[in-house]
Amino acid sequence: MSIKEQVKSVLREAETYRTQGLFNEAMVKFKYASELIEKNVKPENSRLLIEGITKKIELLKKTISKYNDPEKPPEMPVEIQNLIKEKFSFSTDKESAALDGAIALTKFGQFDRAIKEFKELLKMESFRLVAAKNILRCYFASSSSSSSAKAAVSQYKEWLPPGLFTSGQLEKIKVFLENLLKEKGVEIKLPAVKEEVAAKNAPDKAMPATKPLIEMPESEEEEEEFLDISSVGIILETGGKKHPELIMDVSFQSGNMVSLIVPLREKLLIENLKAGLKLNHVQFYSPIAILNGSGVVSAFTRIGSGPKMGNYSLDLKMFTN
Amino acid sequence: MAVFNLKNREIECKIVYYGPGRSGKTTNLEYIFKTYKKQVADQMVTIDTEGDRTLFFDFLPMGLGKIKGCDVKVQLYTVPGQVQYSSTRKLVLKGADGIVFVADSFSIRREKNMLSLKDLDQNLKECGLSIFRVPLILQYNKRDVGGSIPIMSIEMMQNDLNKQLKVPYYPASALTGEGVGATLKECMKLTLVRLQKEFKWAQ
Repeated sequence: MSIKEQVKSVLREAETYRTQGLFNEAMVKFKYASELIEKNVKPENSRLLIEGITKKIELLKKTISKYNDPEKPPEMPVEIQNLIKEKFSFSTDKESAALDGAIALTKFGQFDRAIKEFKELLKMESFRLVAAKNILRCYFASSSSSSSAKAAVSQYKEWLPPGLFTSGQLEKIKVFLENLLKEKGVEIKLPAVKEEVAAKNAPDKAMPATKPLIEMPESEEEEEEFLDISSVGIILETGGKKHPELIMDVSFQSGNMVSLIVPLREKLLIENLKAGLKLNHVQFYSPIAILNGSGVVSAFTRIGSGPKMGNYSLDLKMFTN
Repeated sequence: MAVFNLKNREIECKIVYYGPGRSGKTTNLEYIFKTYKKQVADQMVTIDTEGDRTLFFDFLPMGLGKIKGCDVKVQLYTVPGQVQYSSTRKLVLKGADGIVFVADSFSIRREKNMLSLKDLDQNLKECGLSIFRVPLILQYNKRDVGGSIPIMSIEMMQNDLNKQLKVPYYPASALTGEGVGATLKECMKLTLVRLQKEFKWAQ
């Protein structure tokens, strides 16, 4: 094949890749064509061709950098957001499904709508803390550091007056927000929780309180946010003896509660597990890390029907170290 | 994750088109949408960017009518192929009952095919599924693009992608529709057989 034909063929290939949206591949071929020309064709005959190829390469560079650094995802129409909410909620109970839906909207970059959904979830005690944290996260994901920080801090201040959150919850939100601000390199001093809540909670001196003030206990469930756990390894201890680790896949997860199927052959587990039992040595396998921790058996029941009939279903509450 | 309505004898399952970016997943769905109008239950939802890249997912609901006394509905999804959309890809894959892996026949995309299949394997594991057990079909797309573009032989693609899996495969051209219907039918067949084994839905 002559050089002319070779160059033509490489350029045709590059052009096809470009039209197919394979921009990196197209650029490699355009560069190769350019090299072939420079090496084999006299400069006075190749100047225009090289210039043309260089222009194409520059355009491709711009396109590639645009795709590698996508701007804020586009806001989708409400119908599509509803579809996301519906199709990517996997929990069976309505409340958890609402949380799933809001999280899915976040993952698809629909932050404004997600904030609305999370604000609805603030009404539910069991999801209040996780919803609040997600709202703050959405503010940071949806706009530039300075404006998102402003919005998040203003939201935090709105939550400070007593009523919606306990002081313990507010303290957690504060720490969470401080970390977000730190990550973004924004220095803002947040108003302290206890002072504000305490000040507003303090009984009015002129009107003595008729009832004692009771600090509500904090729910353990709100302690941490959990990663998606794909499998769980349990090291059972009986009579002071540690047994080999048994690893089981997670069939369902909601917050810090995971469901596992214990096969019938795992006699040792089946004989020893019961609701309320604390397992001191548990490993939680997530796609990004293995977490050491413990677990409390929430429910342990025999499966009475379906393809897994005869095996056991274990609901385990996770506590990581 | 198939949904059963025992009372109405309805079954709804989810098939996900997976594969590297620009391999033709959306084009598969577009062809199905155009060609199988009778079975298409609603509009195809597609959200792409300026460069026709799937940013989120495509969605196409279909109704297959009665099979063994059961009203069978299927929802087709595509995942975003580009590497950076990993979290949305995982979310779309969750609950899949069957998978079509759309591989690109261009020689230059050989490594991308293999990386994407590895990514599928990893993401299935995270969903508690095994690539060896899930109903899976391989589609070797873009067989029609010839000329100056080097494309891989079917043997080479089989060796790269299907040596261990040994699943059904189809050469295809999503643009012309060749192999598109056959791929989908085989995937539905495997999926329904698998669901029948698990849930005994058919009469």
